[in-house]
Amino acid sequence: MKKRSIFGLLLILSMVAAACGGGSLEGEEVFITGALVGNDAAGFQENFDSFTEETGIIVSFQGSDNFEQEVQIQMESGDTPDIALWPQPGAVVDAAQRGYLVSLEDLGVDMDEYRASFSSYIVGLGEVDGAHYGGAHAFNLKSIVWYQPAEFEARGYSIPSTWDEMIALADQIVADGMTPFCFGMYSNGASGWLATDWMEDIMLRTGEGTATYDKWVSHDIPFNDPVVKNAATFLSQIMHTEGYVVGGTDAIVSTYFGNAQDPMFEKDANGNPGCFMHRQASFITSFWPEAAQAGAGSETTVFPFPAMDDGLPKAALGAGDMFGVFNDRDATIEVVNYMLSNDFFEAAAQRPDNSRIYGHVDFDTSLYSKDITRVLADTITGALAENAFRFDASDLMPPEVGAGSFWKEMMNLAVEGPGYIDTALNNIETSWP
Amino acid sequence: MKKLTQREKLFNFGISLLALGAFPLFWFLSQAILFRELTEIVSRNVLVVIGIIVGSSFVFLLFNGMERLIRLAPRERRDSLEARMFAGPSLFMIGLFLFYPAIRTIYLSFKDRYGKSFNGVENYSWAFSDTEMLVTIRNQIVWLVFVVFFTLLIGLIVGWLSDRLNKGEAFFKSIVFMPMAISAVGATAIFKFIYEYRPPPLTQIGIINGIRVSSGEKCSNNRIIEGVLNDYADPSCNRAIGWLQQRDLSNLQIGETLESGGWLSNLLVNFPLNTVLLLVIMIWAYTGFAAVVFSAGIKAIPADIMEAGQIDGASEIRIFLSIVIPYIKSTIIVVGTYMVVTVLKAFDIIYVSTRGDLETNLLAVKMLDEFSKYRNIGRSSTVAVIIFVCVIPIIVGNALREKESNSL
Amino acid sequence: MTRNNQKWYDKPFTKLILVAIAITWIFPIFGFLLSSFRPPEAIKRTSWWESLYTGEYWTELTLQNYSEVFFAENLSRSFYNSLAITIPSTIIPITIAAFAAYAFAFMDFRGKNFLFMMVVASMIIPLQMSLIPLVQLFKSGIELGGITIIPALDINGTFVATWFAHTGFGLPLATFLLRDFMMGLPRSVIESAKIDGASNMTTFFKLVVPLSISGIAAFATFQFLWVYNDFLVANVFLGVYKPENLVVTSHMSQIVVGLFGEAWHLRLSGAVISMIVPLIVFFSLQRYFIRGLIGGAVKG
Repeated sequence: MKKRSIFGLLLILSMVAAACGGGSLEGEEVFITGALVGNDAAGFQENFDSFTEETGIIVSFQGSDNFEQEVQIQMESGDTPDIALWPQPGAVVDAAQRGYLVSLEDLGVDMDEYRASFSSYIVGLGEVDGAHYGGAHAFNLKSIVWYQPAEFEARGYSIPSTWDEMIALADQIVADGMTPFCFGMYSNGASGWLATDWMEDIMLRTGEGTATYDKWVSHDIPFNDPVVKNAATFLSQIMHTEGYVVGGTDAIVSTYFGNAQDPMFEKDANGNPGCFMHRQASFITSFWPEAAQAGAGSETTVFPFPAMDDGLPKAALGAGDMFGVFNDRDATIEVVNYMLSNDFFEAAAQRPDNSRIYGHVDFDTSLYSKDITRVLADTITGALAENAFRFDASDLMPPEVGAGSFWKEMMNLAVEGPGYIDTALNNIETSWP
Repeated sequence: MKKLTQREKLFNFGISLLALGAFPLFWFLSQAILFRELTEIVSRNVLVVIGIIVGSSFVFLLFNGMERLIRLAPRERRDSLEARMFAGPSLFMIGLFLFYPAIRTIYLSFKDRYGKSFNGVENYSWAFSDTEMLVTIRNQIVWLVFVVFFTLLIGLIVGWLSDRLNKGEAFFKSIVFMPMAISAVGATAIFKFIYEYRPPPLTQIGIINGIRVSSGEKCSNNRIIEGVLNDYADPSCNRAIGWLQQRDLSNLQIGETLESGGWLSNLLVNFPLNTVLLLVIMIWAYTGFAAVVFSAGIKAIPADIMEAGQIDGASEIRIFLSIVIPYIKSTIIVVGTYMVVTVLKAFDIIYVSTRGDLETNLLAVKMLDEFSKYRNIGRSSTVAVIIFVCVIPIIVGNALREKESNSL
Repeated sequence: MTRNNQKWYDKPFTKLILVAIAITWIFPIFGFLLSSFRPPEAIKRTSWWESLYTGEYWTELTLQNYSEVFFAENLSRSFYNSLAITIPSTIIPITIAAFAAYAFAFMDFRGKNFLFMMVVASMIIPLQMSLIPLVQLFKSGIELGGITIIPALDINGTFVATWFAHTGFGLPLATFLLRDFMMGLPRSVIESAKIDGASNMTTFFKLVVPLSISGIAAFATFQFLWVYNDFLVANVFLGVYKPENLVVTSHMSQIVVGLFGEAWHLRLSGAVISMIVPLIVFFSLQRYFIRGLIGGAVKG
């Protein structure tokens, strides 16, 4: 720890020096990498336009689908970017444990302010031995079900507020000769995460809610605990009931999650959509066909994932990016502070294609280009304030489980049917390191 | 040979050390540092030009310098010293870039996830007990058997038959050979387009599913115009299938027939469909290679041997089996060896298609998965070592065979 | 060497099999290539064979996908990078390997056979095995018992690292192929040159290199295609977090694997573009390429 304090001293000295020098950061370059691609990447880059104008620091972002592997190699090779934006907090913690990251404390970030603006739950996700390494960033909300109000109205269906109502509605739709759910789990190298999301949403709403959830994440209850089994049984009800899912149970594992919802946007000869409900995170809108994207929030919108136990407060499941910092150059520190400030996300929020939600509680939500994003953002901030927001469990569990056996066994469960639940959970439990 | 004095021996040793060690090291370092510094200073275009010029000529300058040193040696030793000088840079680079890493990987395979402390053979016992690893090993075996067998077989057919044409030989060989020029990433994109699956009622744009859903009466591929389905297939029609997601045959009609049968059909129903569909990409890419090499081998068969066979009235197939095959046996073994090694190293196809999901993984991808996805350096190295160990017997076998044929 | 005494009925049958195989081989590319000229929405609306059947295909032809992938997606820069990596990575190993091959083919020294065995053996070391240690080597060098053998080079993420990596990985084959080729040269010519008092350097430059040009061309074609089509090495040593470091294959894999929607129009046109260079090289230098392969395989 001694090293660190000397480090801190040097840091303060250098900051003083920088302050005295003034404008010395002009032309400095800061590289950021992450898993964002396409519009999201463009929006992220745009956030820095005004910053660059003010400080002269040139920030460039490169997103890649292959980010997780690349950053791992970069850490081994020493050719790291200045900041990396990981899609899982677990990976930030891992990099910190390997000693690659500089903690926010050492960077001189005001931790109290950081906690106040993002909630201590979020801040705690990046903690290693009392120091914090993860910078909060944008989130997405997962506890939502997409549907088309016009289709519901035309058939007299009402929005289900409880699980039982959702099942009743699904049965009704099947009885009317249509298909209730869109469900696609396939995702190259990450297949299965959609089912783990369902599991997490159910876990948050059964047992003791968030308390059970936290124990489950930290492995204080085993993976084959009755609570978890209960959740898996609920999930299996959706996946394995005849007629519930587009293309039948066989199609669940084959359908790429990105086009799983497309059937909802296509009408058959009788004018019926391919499906009525799709439980998927808020970012899915970027995967829709262009025509459908325009109707996000109006033609196609969301209802909250139904409650399952009246006694539990409403909880929200989400996921998002967290950044880790590789060095303490002055320019990097400037960028970090800017990224944690409430005006950081302004440019991206105003982009018409943006579907990402900034985690900062003071962020002006009226800036969001789409109504739907505003609604979802309010849900997230509300849940954060009530400590009812929970991060995607599979991103927090050890990678052998969270990116390994949990995903894999959910795929197997989808294929094998309800009889496989016990085997699946036992297998995951055994694989926990 | 005259006995060397102590001094001469020392001198020889010194020069050898210089030739094989110090001098290539200098060659490597000076260029690496020069180029690194240049990267900062000059533009990319200039760097590339300098890279080409220096990279190709710098070694001559050094050889010239070395030659001066070697001239100090006694005349009869000069040739051998110079030989070492010539071979030095190549051997040094091979050692540094292939042997040193291999040894280090073996060392790391006995360490924990961080590569810090030793954990004995734990990684190895994991490698042969973990279910995912076992599936990966099974896939590797399936790939080896199918890819090697079919590339050799189709390669032989094309090589043999095209040789018998009076014209058009080059044309056929070029077509089969062309995929060799396409990157595995491109080839995989091509085949993904064929296997493409989209959830109903979307139009099937992959040709296999397209044919599947439109075969039969009243069945057709859905066509969506302006958001409305124009044709709607009868429910009794075949459903589209996510081909790369089928771990077995149970979703196919044939699978249902098989499931009711005995042990053999139980075995068949577990046929790893997705793995086989993926390895087809590799067969497609490498058959041309085999065909071209075999064709050269077949051309080298002396005409009189073939004519003798034909005069004897042996059938074409007999000639093929009893003359052609034995004659090019060694070529077949060599191509087979090359294919075995290539399959063991196969990486890109899986990496850009399924990333190993649904039991399609291969060892090379698993190795990178362990490194990046599960962040476990020890296990990752272990998988690399397994790949290496699989290759050794094949190479040793080949080397022994060659030794045998040399001693004859 | 044509064999004219074939039976008359053999030929149609032979041709039939060959045509069947050729069609099977060309078919995957056929639909892919055709589809790449269709507008993005049309690719998803109707299947390509149906649009061909109805004639719709000919009315909707467009180059839009190509211009989008080439300019908007900036594939043109990746092209430049690919060539900037491929050309030096092809030339450098040739110069080194040619000398080594000469030594192995025409000179005598102790341990020659053993060292050559090592060269052959190194061909089978999986590339994957080298990656992590090499990345560490390029970063922090090698220390053995406290003595720095190779200093910290810190060249990861630069072209230099890829040039050297490809040189290292290409050398075993280069040395092997060129030695093999040189062994096939008339030995008497080289012997007589030596007797005439020519130095090894002179023999090498004046005699062996000119005679080995087609052998060198064979390896060069092989290496060029290999490096150009390589995905792993570029990914690891060049890194892709700076967009100016993308090469065609890593760029393509981003488009192919790309998680964003069903960007088939970009995948199709991008893949077709990425194939153009290797196919041109292949068809113009096919002779050498095949010779390289045969040299490597037949004699093995």
